[in-house]
Amino acid sequence: MKGKLGVLVACLSLLGSGAGLVAHHSFSTEYDGAKTFKLTGAVSKVEWTNPHVRFYVDVVEDGKTETWNMELASPSALARNGWTSRTLKVGDKVTVEGYAAKVAPNRGNARSVITADGRSLFAGAADDNAPGGGGNQ
Amino acid sequence: MRKLFVFTGILALTLPLLAQQPQAPAPGAPAGQAQGAQGGRGGGRGRGNQPPLGPVNALGQEVRRAPTPTGPAPRLPDGTVDLNGLWNGGGPVGSIAQGLEQGETLPLLPKSKEIMTDRATRETDDPHLWCMPMGVPRSTPYPFRFVQNYTHKAPTHMFIVHEGNIHSFRQIFMDGRKHPAELDPTWFGHSIGWFDNKDTLVIDTVGFNDKFWFDRQGTPHTEQLHTIERWTRVNEGTLRNEVTIEDPGAFSRPFTTTWTARLAGPGDEIMEYICQENNQYGIAGGHKNPFAN
Repeated sequence: MKGKLGVLVACLSLLGSGAGLVAHHSFSTEYDGAKTFKLTGAVSKVEWTNPHVRFYVDVVEDGKTETWNMELASPSALARNGWTSRTLKVGDKVTVEGYAAKVAPNRGNARSVITADGRSLFAGAADDNAPGGGGNQ
Repeated sequence: MRKLFVFTGILALTLPLLAQQPQAPAPGAPAGQAQGAQGGRGGGRGRGNQPPLGPVNALGQEVRRAPTPTGPAPRLPDGTVDLNGLWNGGGPVGSIAQGLEQGETLPLLPKSKEIMTDRATRETDDPHLWCMPMGVPRSTPYPFRFVQNYTHKAPTHMFIVHEGNIHSFRQIFMDGRKHPAELDPTWFGHSIGWFDNKDTLVIDTVGFNDKFWFDRQGTPHTEQLHTIERWTRVNEGTLRNEVTIEDPGAFSRPFTTTWTARLAGPGDEIMEYICQENNQYGIAGGHKNPFAN
């Protein structure tokens, strides 16, 4: 509940302020603003790379493991908002909410990440008309 | 739990509105706010328009950004305006038309309108999305800095160091030289610069290639492009960029757009941004790289 409340606060604050992280890629060409997901799994890889930080989550369902590729903002944008390359670690159990890719399977634009210890990490990967995202800068 | 229910309800009401695709305006007309801008006359949600409290951030913490300072612009010992600082904005992203005077439209030649109509059907071919440079005067979501090189007598070069897109720089010759008579076309062209009345940095650039798009609308130009930027630090935290664009190959007359850059917060610095490192753009949306062989 604590984590969910954190997401609630983060999302509402974003919607209210119009603020958000930025990237040079348009959200709408890659992700479907109406196709949301929420999944839980273990972080299997973190790529602290440009133009977008990515982390991979192994999700087990019905005994089968699927790996999701999650997109975040750029390292510089995340760093300016408190992230480091060590914020998410391989093995962390996380619950991720976001928007799914338009065509590719198991790809998502992560908007919130909640770790098992209750940390609520605002993600924010996109720009222009990303739901809950900020201005297109 | 009740709060979660309220959250879900608000999100359900809000997402459909936020998720709407922006309607493409007619070529040359100012784009809507959702297309974004970098402090152009037409508005937009540039960083400079952010509320005093910045985004809700990592670890659930809010980053409190100091308000943009409004004191007098600093000066160098000889009285010339000091452009030092880290800046955000100062050029178009969504639509260059947003920098026009209200009611004005881009003087596009018919051929340019045709190009924009075509590009509207393939917006993901924008070179900027594939880690190519943004050209001039396009801006990026990332900061930049003016760096001046001196001898003991006078400035020789001004460099504009950009964090993105692709960690690039522009070189402006401040030593009084002229443009060469013939130039090989490049992304940032050949720039000469000088200070006008010690208040405004003027950058005159020719020799561009025709590859970059002015904005996400796909506003085109040709190799005849000639830009004249006038950068004026109107106060400590605000930098105005008036850009006059001449290109008889794309526009029926010269026109001027105006943009605003804002001083970044204390302690912020240029960071590394190597766009080519792991660019997976296109995969999620099923778009092909137009630059791939």
